[in-house]
Amino acid sequence: MKKTLQNPLALIGFIIIASILMMAIMAPIIAPYDPNAIDVKAILLAPTTNHLMGTDGLGRDVLSRMLFGARISLLVGFVAVGIATAIGIFLGAISGFYRGWVDTLIMRTVDVMLSIPTFFLILAVIAFLTPSIWNIMIVIGLTSWMGVTRLVRAEFLSLRNREFVLAAQTLGAKDVRLIFRHLLPNSLTPIIVSSILGIASAVLIESGLSFLGLGVQAPQASWGNILTDGKEYIQFAWWLSLFPGLAILLTVLGYNLLGDGLRDAYNPRSSQH
Amino acid sequence: MLKYLLKRFFWMIPLLIGISLISFMIMHLAPGDITSSEASFNPKASEESRQKLRALYNLDKPVIVQYGLWMKRMVTLDFGTSFASHQRPVFWQTKDKDGNVTLGMIQEALPITLLINVMSLALIIVISLPLGVLSALKQNQLPDRIITIFVFLGFAIPGFWLALILMYWTGVQHSWLPISGLQSIGHEHLQWLGQTLDTLKHLILPVFISGITGLAGISLFVRNGMLEVLHQDYITTARSKGLSENRVIYGHALRNALLPLITIFGLSIPGLIGGSVIAESIFAIPGMGKLFYDAVLMRDFPVIMGILTIGALLTLIGNLLADVAYAWADPRVRRGVMQ
Amino acid sequence: MLMQPNFRKIIQISACVLIPLISVSCDRASTNKPKVSLDYSVNYPASNGGTLIDAMTGEPSGLIAMIAGESAASAIAGNIFNSLLKYDKNLELTGELAQSWEVSSDQRTVTFHLKPNLKWADNEALTSDDVLFTWQKVTDEKTRTPYGSDFKLVTKAETPDINTFRVTYAKPYAPALDTWAGLHILPKHLLKNQDINNTPFARNPVGSHYYKLDSWKNGQYLKLTRNDNATQGQAKISNLLSRIIPDKAAQFLELSADNIDSMALNPIQYARIFPARPELNKNIALYKELGNSYTYLGFNLKRKPFNDVRVRQAINYAINKQEIIDGVLLGLGEPVASPYKPGTRWSNPALKPYPYDPAKAKALLKAAGYEDHDGDGIVDKDGKPLSFEILTNQNKEREMTAVLIQRRLKDIGIEANIRVLEWASFLGRFIKPKEFDAVVLGWSLSLDPDQYNIWHSSQQSPGQFNFISYSNPHVDQLLEAGRLELDPDKRMKIYHEFSAILLEDSPVVYLSAGYGLSAIHKRVRGISNPAPPAGIAHNTYEWYIPQTYARSEISEQ
Repeated sequence: MKKTLQNPLALIGFIIIASILMMAIMAPIIAPYDPNAIDVKAILLAPTTNHLMGTDGLGRDVLSRMLFGARISLLVGFVAVGIATAIGIFLGAISGFYRGWVDTLIMRTVDVMLSIPTFFLILAVIAFLTPSIWNIMIVIGLTSWMGVTRLVRAEFLSLRNREFVLAAQTLGAKDVRLIFRHLLPNSLTPIIVSSILGIASAVLIESGLSFLGLGVQAPQASWGNILTDGKEYIQFAWWLSLFPGLAILLTVLGYNLLGDGLRDAYNPRSSQH
Repeated sequence: MLKYLLKRFFWMIPLLIGISLISFMIMHLAPGDITSSEASFNPKASEESRQKLRALYNLDKPVIVQYGLWMKRMVTLDFGTSFASHQRPVFWQTKDKDGNVTLGMIQEALPITLLINVMSLALIIVISLPLGVLSALKQNQLPDRIITIFVFLGFAIPGFWLALILMYWTGVQHSWLPISGLQSIGHEHLQWLGQTLDTLKHLILPVFISGITGLAGISLFVRNGMLEVLHQDYITTARSKGLSENRVIYGHALRNALLPLITIFGLSIPGLIGGSVIAESIFAIPGMGKLFYDAVLMRDFPVIMGILTIGALLTLIGNLLADVAYAWADPRVRRGVMQ
Repeated sequence: MLMQPNFRKIIQISACVLIPLISVSCDRASTNKPKVSLDYSVNYPASNGGTLIDAMTGEPSGLIAMIAGESAASAIAGNIFNSLLKYDKNLELTGELAQSWEVSSDQRTVTFHLKPNLKWADNEALTSDDVLFTWQKVTDEKTRTPYGSDFKLVTKAETPDINTFRVTYAKPYAPALDTWAGLHILPKHLLKNQDINNTPFARNPVGSHYYKLDSWKNGQYLKLTRNDNATQGQAKISNLLSRIIPDKAAQFLELSADNIDSMALNPIQYARIFPARPELNKNIALYKELGNSYTYLGFNLKRKPFNDVRVRQAINYAINKQEIIDGVLLGLGEPVASPYKPGTRWSNPALKPYPYDPAKAKALLKAAGYEDHDGDGIVDKDGKPLSFEILTNQNKEREMTAVLIQRRLKDIGIEANIRVLEWASFLGRFIKPKEFDAVVLGWSLSLDPDQYNIWHSSQQSPGQFNFISYSNPHVDQLLEAGRLELDPDKRMKIYHEFSAILLEDSPVVYLSAGYGLSAIHKRVRGISNPAPPAGIAHNTYEWYIPQTYARSEISEQ
């Protein structure tokens, strides 16, 4: 971890993420207004001292909505990735450890899932169910586990023949113990890297779904839906587009920088010659 | 080699059936069907006529029966006609008894999407290769850092946001590019050169927006690949043999680093035919993404199944081609397979 | 050194890509826009020619309106086909293909006399045979149309001669004439051997109205051009081009860049953005017309507490409708007190909407047994708090309306939760099985006052339109009588009484009737402003584009 932070880009990423997380956590305290407080007399006001980020089409304060929207957008990211990672670890571990027909079955399923363009799949399923924040999280999770599975499987395949595993087996260690005590902890870093990058993707997917009308629904605020609400006035109410757009940009950038830095630090081959 | 290919082909059939079955089931998870659109919620439209419509489209039968009917048609490569656009065949054109040709929906949408995606892939490669190489050579120095931030920016920026900003800047504030659509109004009156240029002009923004996301992935891939290869022993050998630096980098390192890129292409085939729904929506481009999105909203089952099936087929073929190409390109694998 | 090969490669590639791009972009100046900034206040006399470009978000599935059904289809088909009758600018029925008509003394037979020498766009004669053929098609079991039920009430249809068409109904049917104003007459000579559900005619129609289809590029645009054989005379504008642009933000950008002439606006664009932008106002004019639809909050009358009229009335008093009109529509709407367009003869002028009166609302709730007994801010009865869910579909304005309602209900102690649903799911899972508490929806009305399908107690089965389960025998009687009464004044009285009962019963809370807002470039002249009751589109054939303002287009060389 220390090595990661020595990388200036990863450090920048870390700072960005930490700040946004802080703001999201403290949203109820620092938000100047109730994010759902409608004020029909304050529709589409430009940023002023009263409303630092202006107001939206219903007179709601954009800054407050952005802060609470951070919570939603990040929550979607965390839960979706959590689901994907859990499934991925489970399937990848079984696949990599036991091999044989289980491995083939799981890998073929991965292939099947990968042959449907992910966004299409998410789109179709959300359109069929009702677009709610939980559905979105579950669906993104259920369509992103393939990468983690492959990763974990690859790690397990390479690790299971190492001496320390063979040694533990000779000592009579049961499978479960092997998996959880030996193999998994050593595969952790790529999983973490993949999770970090996955959060970034999930935030982007949510904003894409909002554009199509299938994202987090009103009156809850998410960066995606603030951005979408303002898209028809992009030339005029620039604040409705600039702030959520920048927020998404910075968040995704931050996660990517951090994840990439972590990966670089972990990968022994890419260290300085 | 032949045995391997045959085995893969055989595997495709159960795979395709599996995919189509899963897709069909998911589709029927959805509440509602073609008769439940907002337009049909009109007091002038009677319920019996909606029931009749449902019966005509076999929507009142159990799901397995509907799947069977669809399968029966598919075996003869008949993708059926769209529920929402009454007369249009889903896949390929049909000619009726008077010789009138009706173009197929996928037939029209697929080339457009393919064109955009291929152009965007080309753009990505052209930009990512030099960037990735530069990044690897100057690892952890300023150029590397700047390039990394730049490509990550491209990935992080929400596509439709950038699209609207660019549309405003290049189309409203200045008149450099058209804002949306695929062709200008008098397109058919131009010569073929004019037509090509006109279409290209309309595609500049969509291709750029589609491509900018992929830049990050491929640049990083090239960079990491190069780094891995550059630290190998044979590179040191080549250098100590006295070869020029250029020859080392381009003749040896790059070529080997790019091998895995072939696998990446194979993996990106589903993306190629699945046009970006967002970009097509915003730029009013009638491609596969928009076709799929509209079909999903309208519950146009034949079109949805048609797109998913063709997508799956192309993906499987693409993966096969990628594997074969990789095997051919990598002498180690080629030798191993030949034996 | 090491850097050079890379840079050289980059520059080489960039050059190959950028130079053609730049040269191509400089080309743009030769298309479309007038270079000089024009003064649009100059008046020009009417002239022929020009192209009107507008934008649609959806594409028609076909141009045979009885089958296609969606609004994009009927909008375009309406320029291609004629009906027997039409509505004039004051919303009175007048002849289109028919020059006159009579109703028999028993009120069951209508005889239409067609204008003489009518022609189709392909020069064939348009006769009563075509009308009969169209009627046969719309009532045919095999035709996939949802609009047949009105026409099936005709027991006998005959063509005594080539210019006369006569229909007989089993009982007098007052909405009949309105239905004949909405049926596009199709050419028998082109369709008699075709399966109307699959015929290529739907994508290549031949009609009789001002325009005919010139070209249809799938997913891109439809182009209509003037029909020399038009039965109603000649339109002035030569071409109508409808571009398919699904995204409203992109449409607005196209309008700002002067690539399209007209688009529909939302209230914020109309009332906030345009007034603040002189560069837009210089070239684009705004129009508004009261639409024929209204938004409402509907209750599931089979569920407690909505079966209690006092609760419904309380909610009606609690909602501030003007606030909704000001907030959601930015003032561009009218309050309604009856399910009809304000200002038409069917709208009862004596009825006034429930005023905003939270005190009265609370009193009514109290009378119904609802008070805040446990001090939690929500009224309750028998220990159960008054809390319910408002459902609406994905429509920005309806969502905002629901939020405002929620706030006002909270003021009187009612807890309302909002759920936004995708349409098909909404319809299939909630409306059809009547699994809902309250909904915010809208009705788009026809010009005929008959509302049998929405309010009659026999229309409550799943899939029918009385999904709120309203049942009032007196209303049933009035609705039935309204269908039989052909005299407009007597009919008016029936529907006025009907509206009064509905208002008292309050099975729904009428929220607003919105204005249709459009922006049309000032180069288009001849538009009536302010809009007459029929809206600005009543005389599109009289609109013209003076030559000076016409766009230069890539045209036949």
